[in-house]
Amino acid sequence: MVTLYEGAVLALLAGGVFFGVVAAVGLLRMPDLYTRAHAASKADTLGAGLSLAAAAAVLASSLPTIKAVLLLVFLFLTNPTAAHAISRAAADQGIEPWTAEDGGGGDGK
Amino acid sequence: MALIRTQYSYHDNSDCCSQLSGRVRPVGGPVAHDCGVATVTGERLLVPVSESPTLRNTVAYAVRNAVEAEDRYDAVHFVCPASRRIAGEGSVESARELLERVAVWAAEDLGADDPEVGVETALIGVDTYLFSPSDYVELLADYATDNDIDSVLLDPEFNPGENTPLLPPLESELERTGFSVEMAPVERGTRRGRLVRRAGLGQFVLLAGLSYGFYLLIGGSLAAFDLVTGAMSAGIVATVLLRVSTTGPVQPRKLVARIVRMLVYTPYLLYEIVVANVAIAYVVLHPSLPIDPEVVEFDAVVWSELSVMTLANSITLTPGTLTIDVNSRHFVVHTLTEGSREDLLEGGLERAVRFVFYGRAAARGPGPRERGDDGGEET
Repeated sequence: MVTLYEGAVLALLAGGVFFGVVAAVGLLRMPDLYTRAHAASKADTLGAGLSLAAAAAVLASSLPTIKAVLLLVFLFLTNPTAAHAISRAAADQGIEPWTAEDGGGGDGK
Repeated sequence: MALIRTQYSYHDNSDCCSQLSGRVRPVGGPVAHDCGVATVTGERLLVPVSESPTLRNTVAYAVRNAVEAEDRYDAVHFVCPASRRIAGEGSVESARELLERVAVWAAEDLGADDPEVGVETALIGVDTYLFSPSDYVELLADYATDNDIDSVLLDPEFNPGENTPLLPPLESELERTGFSVEMAPVERGTRRGRLVRRAGLGQFVLLAGLSYGFYLLIGGSLAAFDLVTGAMSAGIVATVLLRVSTTGPVQPRKLVARIVRMLVYTPYLLYEIVVANVAIAYVVLHPSLPIDPEVVEFDAVVWSELSVMTLANSITLTPGTLTIDVNSRHFVVHTLTEGSREDLLEGGLERAVRFVFYGRAAARGPGPRERGDDGGEET
């Protein structure tokens, strides 16, 4: 019998896995560096975020929960910074962003 | 003096611009007096100056460079941006004094028997608003165009804005505008600026308190051993990082207000992240991958370093938008879909950041689109 509490944890975990998969799929399907950075950095943030939230809920005692929340905070600070660093480096290298016209239909090839 | 004909110049020509005649005899005409008409016989060098510890050495280097360099310069133009509109009449006055000093130094350095190198000084931007590096670059570029200059020598401590460090963006923007930019290779004294700032007891207490709290939280115990080692670590951390990690004196009330508003902001940001994430998940999993990426640029109405960083990070966190570059407050953002572009230019996040840092009144301002700042869409 799954209690409401366990159900919530399961839902969080499922969401985390879902967005993790979306990030991976996006990484494979997207056409260029910038769009891949979108997929990799963001969906991943939510994926990791939901998984950590699930962990925090399971642990339920105050201290590890706080630590999980802190992890989340640092994740949310560092993830966009890294994405920014990568895309800015790419822009400095003169890599032109892919546009819908380049791809003719946009199926990533 | 013809030099100060530009629209930015101070109207009272007689005393804002001093010029060293005498040995100012560039070949081919009175360049110093009317650059537009004179035949161009060589390169001129533009040196923006402001009050700085390395200014003396930069002037010396500029003059020596003009005299000795292989492709030597005909004239060196020292210009000082000073805006009466922002800093008041006093700043213009001190800028004028600065330029007089620079002129005297340059004359000293030239010496009597040097070849003919013109030295000019000019005060620019008196009646303009100077905020961002791009404002300064525009000003300098206008001056350079009027005087037919394409090389710029920068003082490594050049900082007309006084508060925010302008030099790195200034250098790159000047280069982008097509100047050849050189940094004067002068000795710098102990650096206090950019990273290291003055700090007082308030900051020490704040920083030590934060470190102590974090230490105890991670350690998870309040045993005597942890209390003592924590206090020692917090003291060391606060001492070492004191002047790096805080930006100004602690204002407790403002700080608390900001933290409270930040707590209000966080759920909003989380909500935005979730909504946008679902939208992106849809796009990624859609069989035809309906993306339409485009780079948009806009000027955000946020002022301090910290708020610009918060906004940039929030934009990147929100799926579908990715901050590529920020120059002062000019954002270059890569957007994945039409929808995310709309949201960005609507300015919801920007308003939220303004709310966090400046309170409710500031939050009501218009978004980039309404302001008309969303121009410059590149593809």
